[in-house]
Amino acid sequence: MYRFFDRIQHMDRRWIFLGMALAILIPMLFPITFEFKVDERVQALYDSVEEIEPGSTIFLSADFDPASRPELEPFYRANLHHLFRNDVKVVMATLWEFAPPLILPIMEEIAAVHGKEYGTDWAYLGYKPGKELAIKAIGENIPKTFPKDYRETPTTDLPIMRGFKQAKDFAMIVNVSAGFPGTREYVLQIQGQYDLKVASACTAVSGPDYIPFYKAGQLTGLSAGMPGSAQYEKLVFPDGPPEGIRLLATQGINVLNLGHLYVILLILLGNIGYFLTRATDAPSGGKGG
Amino acid sequence: MEALPNATLFGAWISIFLTLCVLSFLYDDNPVYKLAEHLFLGVSIGISITEIWYGVFQPNLTDKLMPGTSVPSWTPAMFLVMAAAVLVVTFADARRRPGEAGEDGLRLGLLALVGLAIVAVLGQMLYGWFQSSVGEPWDRYRALSFFPLVLVAMLFMKLSRKHSWLARVPIAFIVAAYAGVKLTGEANANLMTQVAQTMPDMSASWAEHGLWNWEKDGAGVISDVFVVVGLASCLIYFYFSAPAKGAIAWVSRFGILVLMLSFGASFGYTVMGRISLAIGRAQEMLGLDRPAVEVAQIHPRIASVVSLLIIVALLVVWRRRGGGDVSPEGAAG
Amino acid sequence: MRSTFPLVLTFLVGMFMIGEFFIPHWRYHVVTAELLEWGLILAAAAFVLGLINLVQVNLPKVIERSTDWQYKSVMLIALFCTLAAGFGGGIERQSAGQAYKWLFDFLFVPLNATMFALLAFYIASAAFRAFRARNLEATLLLGAAILVMVARVPMGENLPLLGDKLPQFMNWIMDVPNIAARRAIFIGAALGAVATGLRVILGIERSHLGAD
Repeated sequence: MYRFFDRIQHMDRRWIFLGMALAILIPMLFPITFEFKVDERVQALYDSVEEIEPGSTIFLSADFDPASRPELEPFYRANLHHLFRNDVKVVMATLWEFAPPLILPIMEEIAAVHGKEYGTDWAYLGYKPGKELAIKAIGENIPKTFPKDYRETPTTDLPIMRGFKQAKDFAMIVNVSAGFPGTREYVLQIQGQYDLKVASACTAVSGPDYIPFYKAGQLTGLSAGMPGSAQYEKLVFPDGPPEGIRLLATQGINVLNLGHLYVILLILLGNIGYFLTRATDAPSGGKGG
Repeated sequence: MEALPNATLFGAWISIFLTLCVLSFLYDDNPVYKLAEHLFLGVSIGISITEIWYGVFQPNLTDKLMPGTSVPSWTPAMFLVMAAAVLVVTFADARRRPGEAGEDGLRLGLLALVGLAIVAVLGQMLYGWFQSSVGEPWDRYRALSFFPLVLVAMLFMKLSRKHSWLARVPIAFIVAAYAGVKLTGEANANLMTQVAQTMPDMSASWAEHGLWNWEKDGAGVISDVFVVVGLASCLIYFYFSAPAKGAIAWVSRFGILVLMLSFGASFGYTVMGRISLAIGRAQEMLGLDRPAVEVAQIHPRIASVVSLLIIVALLVVWRRRGGGDVSPEGAAG
Repeated sequence: MRSTFPLVLTFLVGMFMIGEFFIPHWRYHVVTAELLEWGLILAAAAFVLGLINLVQVNLPKVIERSTDWQYKSVMLIALFCTLAAGFGGGIERQSAGQAYKWLFDFLFVPLNATMFALLAFYIASAAFRAFRARNLEATLLLGAAILVMVARVPMGENLPLLGDKLPQFMNWIMDVPNIAARRAIFIGAALGAVATGLRVILGIERSHLGAD
């Protein structure tokens, strides 16, 4: 037993990588599904969108890139279905330079499914760099910050933008945030100053950081990571997805079962081996990982 | 459903191939990975600059300086032609004077590009101004936008050793703007609101949850007190200006334990986030992210196997030619 | 003058932006909106400076055939092809069938996503090699991590005997100790940000202006 643990303490890390790959591939090829419950924070997010009056307009800041697609794209898609189904109008923009080619085709696809017309039911104002300055500018004056939309139509000429000059004019801000700039900056820069309703979908890494904002009432709802997106998908499509819609977060969340178990097993094996071997060996840690 | 275009089919296979090229780094740092990495760098910077042009420079600067649609917006093509000319001149100069001259030549060339760009913008403005078809109302021509144009030109003086001091002005502007907005934002949202929300309404909490409510994940008076005590303990731990002794040391230690619980939870979420990213790639390689009709045309699983075989073959050739660190210590580390 | 004017400008712009939070008069906000737009343009220009610096560093290496010049030439070719596709496509560049869209969907997306997906493997390796319960603090950290990893996935809500007790306890950790710790960190960071912001605006901190 001692020799076994001593060997695995020094094993080539590529075996660990292979194990991780199998822990991901096996449940994808042979899926086992479990039921899951909806978090209070995700439920609050869903409820806050449900409370928006039909015909109102929200501001959607889709700030994610391909690296965070598995965690956030499912939420983004489900949220657009939810908003359009409830006849809520959407004005979208982004603060991430790698988002536009990702978010615009999805928006066009889902708007077409719901028969929504550009300029009247939805609009995409484009990308703006500048991080906190851009968010501050959105709070101050949206037509000045985004003089034209992505089709180079003056923003003030869009029917959907009539009467909407500042962030506070919208019923709500929904921020799909993969990092910086994102939800934190929206909360810091304009949520408090203008007393805005802000809901956030973020990556799992940011989840623990944004929970205090939710608890303090600065966020009306919070979805964190792939589980959050899966729970939101469950709420938006309680009877399962309609034809042609794939629930990728729901599909992916059950793969996390084995992945997490594998990491826990590694931690336990590593610690057991460490305690068994340290009595007789010099410390062999610090070989990197 | 109609057949997917050949470009899409080819692209889907390239996508899977490149995914495995990057994953080959798990075996070892190898030329296949390096190629993919440099390709990524080039494409990502190209996308950044393109989106920045269409996101900011065009709508917020050049469109405001140059009157309306009567002037053809051939500015991007013009910049690219000038960039190509400058690079050719720089290349020739560097070939004549290798070594340090290459960098000086490039610096001069790029400064010339900046100067030409400003001249081109001003020239377009004058062209539009005198053109008879220009009937734009005055408020579409924003003279005020000259100032950011001048600031941008000053920023690009950073490229010149002699005149780089001019860049201090726009840098001072940006830094001051960020400092100002960050100061008020942090003070309001992170400091005041968070402190205010930490003060619990004990009577309301007792009325709603009592001491401890399992149904509401442990909400209640005990948890409220824990938050306040935990927050205070952590803040006391963060006070490093004096050594923690006696009772302060005990409180500080409790603060560390609270921090460890939080960091542990963060680690759990981080693991979840990272594995989710790998799940996304696996979904693409197994064709689980596309409709069945597209999968039937693309055959992603076949593409994955073929790509894997090609990359393994390339790695074998690379190893046989003496590439990489083959020692067990190197592999284990 | 070379140092004084930027310092004065820092003070004026910084104080103006601070005032934006407190002064609701519309004329004040017209000016701040203009200043914010200038800031956006300059922030974007800084990106372009980065591009120029990249070409400045790598192009001579390609010309002189120094180390890894082949990879750098691939990078520069990919850069210029993407710029050409982006500017050539114009406002339609993100539409289906455009070269820019193809480069984004089939080159950038898999490369970007997989670079980050590598982290899943490295975090597994780090978990095995580095996370040791050497003392009480480390044990608490590992315990909380394992609890979150079990309770956050569907399997953790369906364990025999425990039922949904684990998710409840995990939610308690997120809602109580996590909040206490994060708020402490936020408060500390906010104090630091306020102090640093004031130092910059008042000219005490001048490192951003470079040496005289």
